[in-house]
Amino acid sequence: MINIEIDGKLVETERGSTVMDAARKAGVHIPHFCYHKKLSIAANCRMCLVEVEKAPKPLPACATPAAEGMKVKTHSEMAVKAQKGVMEFLLINHPLDCPICDQGGECMLQDVAMGYGGVASRYAEEKREVQPKDVGALISTQEMTRCIQCTRCVRFGQEVADLMELGMAFRTEHAEIMTFVNSTVDSELSGNMIDLCPVGALTSKPFRYTARNWELSRRRSVSPHDGLGSNLAVHIKNNKVLRVTPVENEDINECWISDKDRFSYEGLNSAERLTKPMIKQDGKWQEVEWQAALEYVANGLRQVANGAGADQVAALATPHSTLEELYLLQKLMRGIGSDNIDFRLRQSDFSADGKLAGAPWLGMSVADINSRDRFLIVGSFLRKDHPLLAHRIRQAVKKGAQANIVHSSDDNLLMKIANKAIVAPGDMVSLLAQILKALADEMQASTQGVENVVVGNEAAAIAKSLAGGERAAVLLGNFAQQHPQAAQIAVLAEKIAALCGVKFGYLGEAANSVGGYLAGAVPGAKGMNAAQMLSSPRKAYVLLNVEPELDCANPQQAMAAMQAADLVVAMSAFKHKAVDYADVLLPIAPFTETSGTFVNTEGHAQSFKGAVKPLGEARPAWKVLRVLGNLLDVDGFDYDTSEAVRDEAVDTTNILGALDNHLDVALQAVSGAATQGLQRVADVPIYATDVLVRRAASLQQTRDAATPCVAMRGDELKKLGVKSGDTVKVTQGNASVRLAACADDGLPAGVARVAAGHAATAELGAMFGTITVQPITGERA
Amino acid sequence: MQMIKNFFKTFMLVELLKGMSVTGRYMFTRHITVEYPEERTPQSFRFRGLHAQRRYANGEERCIGCKLCEAVCPALAIKIEIAERDDGTRRTTLYDIDLTKCIFCGFCEESCPVDAIVETRVFEYHGETRGDLYYTKSMLLANGDRLEEQIAKDRAADAKYR
Repeated sequence: MINIEIDGKLVETERGSTVMDAARKAGVHIPHFCYHKKLSIAANCRMCLVEVEKAPKPLPACATPAAEGMKVKTHSEMAVKAQKGVMEFLLINHPLDCPICDQGGECMLQDVAMGYGGVASRYAEEKREVQPKDVGALISTQEMTRCIQCTRCVRFGQEVADLMELGMAFRTEHAEIMTFVNSTVDSELSGNMIDLCPVGALTSKPFRYTARNWELSRRRSVSPHDGLGSNLAVHIKNNKVLRVTPVENEDINECWISDKDRFSYEGLNSAERLTKPMIKQDGKWQEVEWQAALEYVANGLRQVANGAGADQVAALATPHSTLEELYLLQKLMRGIGSDNIDFRLRQSDFSADGKLAGAPWLGMSVADINSRDRFLIVGSFLRKDHPLLAHRIRQAVKKGAQANIVHSSDDNLLMKIANKAIVAPGDMVSLLAQILKALADEMQASTQGVENVVVGNEAAAIAKSLAGGERAAVLLGNFAQQHPQAAQIAVLAEKIAALCGVKFGYLGEAANSVGGYLAGAVPGAKGMNAAQMLSSPRKAYVLLNVEPELDCANPQQAMAAMQAADLVVAMSAFKHKAVDYADVLLPIAPFTETSGTFVNTEGHAQSFKGAVKPLGEARPAWKVLRVLGNLLDVDGFDYDTSEAVRDEAVDTTNILGALDNHLDVALQAVSGAATQGLQRVADVPIYATDVLVRRAASLQQTRDAATPCVAMRGDELKKLGVKSGDTVKVTQGNASVRLAACADDGLPAGVARVAAGHAATAELGAMFGTITVQPITGERA
Repeated sequence: MQMIKNFFKTFMLVELLKGMSVTGRYMFTRHITVEYPEERTPQSFRFRGLHAQRRYANGEERCIGCKLCEAVCPALAIKIEIAERDDGTRRTTLYDIDLTKCIFCGFCEESCPVDAIVETRVFEYHGETRGDLYYTKSMLLANGDRLEEQIAKDRAADAKYR
């Protein structure tokens, strides 16, 4: 630690830190544009010039290392003169179009100009103009003339997103921020550039010209999408959500949020919102009052339960529902005598049920990821499924950690991958067994259960990498959790992690993947899990937030079950395909309109309040479930607040005590039986994961939301006689769809990647399984 | 002594004569009463009366929807909503002034970066219901179109002081 003096205040700061760091510590504000605590030092805006004693010239505070005994003056005559001079230069080419600028009112340049700008400009010559470029559906660069070349966006792309999509071309007066020729900005973290831009050069396209920042009130909320639980500020005006920005939380989302969290609010204002309870009578939908709708539901459920038995009633919820909703739904189901409740809609292997020591979770804190030095990431479309966890892993890799990947698709993870094993889904278990064997050999530990496994080169390399580390992390992604042999994968992961001396973890699929377990929204010993409920159809279904054809592991089966059911109660914020098969539609409030709690993947329970009033007659789902409980005469449904529900559901002070990844499943002998035919690998595209993002208009225009294609190895496509881009017929189960074919040589042999969760593939069957791809002959494709 | 004075005053009408003398004096001085509506007082070019929205010479409305007038209005009389017009420019979709709230402080015209919202010399307007005093964008633009000549003259007169 060294001592320096800033404006007469003595500050102790770390060796190697800069004057800017010390000033921030001392609470002294130095005006700046290009400096950002999470980005590298560029020192190109020159706004932070300060006077340092004994230095002949003013020095940039952000790039000057603090030295022992240094005396800095940030507001001396020399410093202020330098800062005013810089400001005048910055404003030379700035259009000063604040009245029509969306950044107006929250603009760093505007703020600093109030303090350091002149009354009038001395510059009378022609100002430069920069032509706008189209960089995609999310970021507007319509007024690139406003840019002051701080290069924050460029550094963000290089250092945080690790996808350099924006760069500065040309020099001096002609310098421009631009993409590569005709390219768009497609990073899943791109929206953060809007926050980073200190001026109005990069602005939000969906928010463009809708409101002024001083009209908006900010309400804190929590992301309902991925398992991270990013902290959000929801900006509202006139009871409408107009934009979403991050709230800094160093332990969770740092100061970033993914585009999914940022732009999904557009779905809230979608025209598809359901605003009145509806009942289908004689095949026609009729809007009814809540009382009538709820009584209809209660009577219907009672009839099925009394007539066919309570086990004919099943409830499915998404893991994007709040803890309170999941808790009340399971309490309601158990209250009427049914144990059929599940939220793990995309899971296909439930053999670990009843053998889990606790709720599956990340196994470590989110912030802990940065300090790991070896990663084994099994079955994860990491970048798309967990944009910000991927960012943390990327940061660790940059510090020297080795990332090892076991997956069925070789996606570009934008980080240095030490070793990877890309295998067909059917070979994933055997590959993990090889890693376990190799690691045990490496560590001279017992190889019980995998003695006869023959270790391949890829597995040996991964094992060697893992053995060489001090703090490893073994993480199972969504693909591994949805895998038909998920329990075996988890057992192997646990053993591998144990050999490394750590615990393995799950990258939580959705906002409440942990909370669902804590709320008890999983079947007990007598109950049916999500797969059983659909494979042996029930008479009545209660759907909470679910779109069965998009959210379930096997859409074909799910839809057949829905069509055959006598009573389907769809609690949904949107009018979706349920209008075809449901009998009652109950409008419930999405996350901005209800209070609730999400337990993120590290077991951090984050409660939030509603930001706006529910639209129309929509009501928070916990209230709807409470009234349903009362109507069905179930005891203990007299809650006044969602907090009361939460406190009954979980002990928020000791959530970590309820989390344990250990599973008491025996390791099965790895069968080498090769699977027949083409295997499907299904990812859930980043903008198809839940009801809200599917309706976010701007996200749906991005490249990541394009209609999925059938991806296969180039040589296998050739064998079929199909070229990349041709339309092919994809058949699974009893349905086929037509999709474009595309070549992806990163896939293993015998595999076709067909995304799930998209309307174009919703008619297909399970996310894993055999699939056929045929060229279309005899007609023009 | 005082009693004697008061005694004489009571029947010599001294107060009456004093009062009448004031009346008599004003009868012969210059009249200052303005016979409104036949006569009018002079108005300053800064007179703050009924609002108007101006257009450029090519017919394009000036207002760009920056909302500064809405923000500065101390009486919260202005309500604006904005959107991107088809040609990509920022325009108001709603611009209402509630004249029953307005206190005619002139901050709106002072804050306007494009001289779009102005207060004119018109003070003779009325409404038979409250709603009549709720001026919408089209009414304000119509005011501007009608009074543009005078408005332009007034701005020109004021220009050297701004």
